[in-house]
Amino acid sequence: MTNPLPPEIDAEIAEEPARRSFLKTTALGALGAYVGMNIPFAENLKAFAQGMNEEDIMAGKPGLTLLNDRPLNAETPAHLLDDDVTPYEHFFVRNNGGVPDTALNMDAEGWTLTIDGEVENPLVLTLDDLKNNFEVITRRLVIECGGNGRAFFNPGASGNQWTTGAVGCADWTGVRLSDVLNAAGIKDTAVYTAHYSNDPHLSGDPERDAISRGVPIEKAMAEGGMIAWEMNGEPIPAVHGFPLRVINPGYPGSASQKFLTRIWVRDQVHDGAKMTGYSYRMPAYPVAPGTEVPQEDMVIMTDMPVKSLITFPQSGTQTPAGAASEVRGHAWSGSGDIASVDVSIDFGATWIAAELEPAVNKFAWQRFRADITLPEAGYYEVWARATDTNGVAQPPVVPGWNPRGYGNNMQHRIALIAT
Amino acid sequence: MFATSHILRGALGVSLACFVTAASAQMAYDPMRPTPNPLMPVNPLMPATSEESTTESASAEVLPNPEFGNLPDAEGVEETFYQCVACHSTAIILQQSLTDARWDYLWTWMIEEQGMFEPEDEIRDEILTYLKTHFSSER
Repeated sequence: MTNPLPPEIDAEIAEEPARRSFLKTTALGALGAYVGMNIPFAENLKAFAQGMNEEDIMAGKPGLTLLNDRPLNAETPAHLLDDDVTPYEHFFVRNNGGVPDTALNMDAEGWTLTIDGEVENPLVLTLDDLKNNFEVITRRLVIECGGNGRAFFNPGASGNQWTTGAVGCADWTGVRLSDVLNAAGIKDTAVYTAHYSNDPHLSGDPERDAISRGVPIEKAMAEGGMIAWEMNGEPIPAVHGFPLRVINPGYPGSASQKFLTRIWVRDQVHDGAKMTGYSYRMPAYPVAPGTEVPQEDMVIMTDMPVKSLITFPQSGTQTPAGAASEVRGHAWSGSGDIASVDVSIDFGATWIAAELEPAVNKFAWQRFRADITLPEAGYYEVWARATDTNGVAQPPVVPGWNPRGYGNNMQHRIALIAT
Repeated sequence: MFATSHILRGALGVSLACFVTAASAQMAYDPMRPTPNPLMPVNPLMPATSEESTTESASAEVLPNPEFGNLPDAEGVEETFYQCVACHSTAIILQQSLTDARWDYLWTWMIEEQGMFEPEDEIRDEILTYLKTHFSSER
């Protein structure tokens, strides 16, 4: 079978010059025009309120797709996520508020982390305390936005319309979250953590938190949880949470609070900003698309679903017909390890087992590779399907619709043109 | 019939050749492109959908207004712009296609949880009508 090239290819080519001239002729002040483009024009972006400088930040992340400039949100095209360790320039950005001046200035002078609430010994720790009093570890951990894949839900779900690129896997250096919580002495009454930071709320109201989420105490004490100050061997960059970030891998990225100032151990489920209502919550039961689910029936998201991404080749690449060529990418799961990855070149009719590398540590993504041979010239799609150690695999279509569009782990597909 | 399909195949061959020589892989058909809402105005956030959107918006004659963050230039655009950009850019609005019920919920959420200024009822109705008209999954 030879699938004809869809007309969109012609359309996209024809459209390109028009888009360029549109960009050139649009006033600089109309920033919306730049949003959604790749960022070759990043140098033209203007700075915003509260000292936030998107120009500097986005200029350091060429190739990312800007979804929102205030607050700053940008995702990574799949082919720029091919590295085993996602470099800074390719790491997606999801901010709920502004980037604090302390981060923009990389100024950690006097920074402290408070651990209080349901603990025997409340702690106020400096960065030096953290570095000197606990075992320092480096772990490769995936961070993925809970709303990654939201763009594919219909009816639409509110929020940034992430496609596939709100995910990255970096090397994080810091201390175990459990070591710090144990030093404070967790009481039997502890139920949940509550994370706080100094990023300003969008309204400018100093009494409001841009975001304050947390995790069940069992998750905070489990393997993987960290308080980190380095990303890929450097101080955590401003937009990723300088100088401190808690990381709870496997959970939605919002459970990994940036600019961390305090972990309040609570005797109840945390009810901070974006813990309640529909934020990072899924219906307690399956609903038809577009259903208005009562708030009391929404439950907090925990583990992210099993997922994979084809990072090489780039979608639309040509490859010789009849010759083997490599397809590769990463697979990960919120619950831990991946058991297998399969790829298909015939729209899921048949599957080929990919070679799968073990994770360097729990919650790191795992490299998969497969050699595929496209039999004749024409249009093909390569699909990837990861299966976790519980036998749960990615669905071929968008999974259960939910009001805020979370947890879409549909199989990733790229186009390959055999010539 | 044979001739037609032959011509079609020829045309596809040309378009493939054109694609191969004149365009980078980045411009290829993307199997993961989000399904566009055919009634959406030009959405600079979704370049992959703008071809279809342009066609639709041309027939609907609703064009983006650069003075108001590229929101569709229609009744209510000015009120919507000034109400919303107090906290966030129009970029997030341009990405939405929601049910009416979700817009009503978001409005209350922004006032109660996010500290949005609550305008007079008349302005509220105008803004919500604007949002439900231009950023809807229902129409």
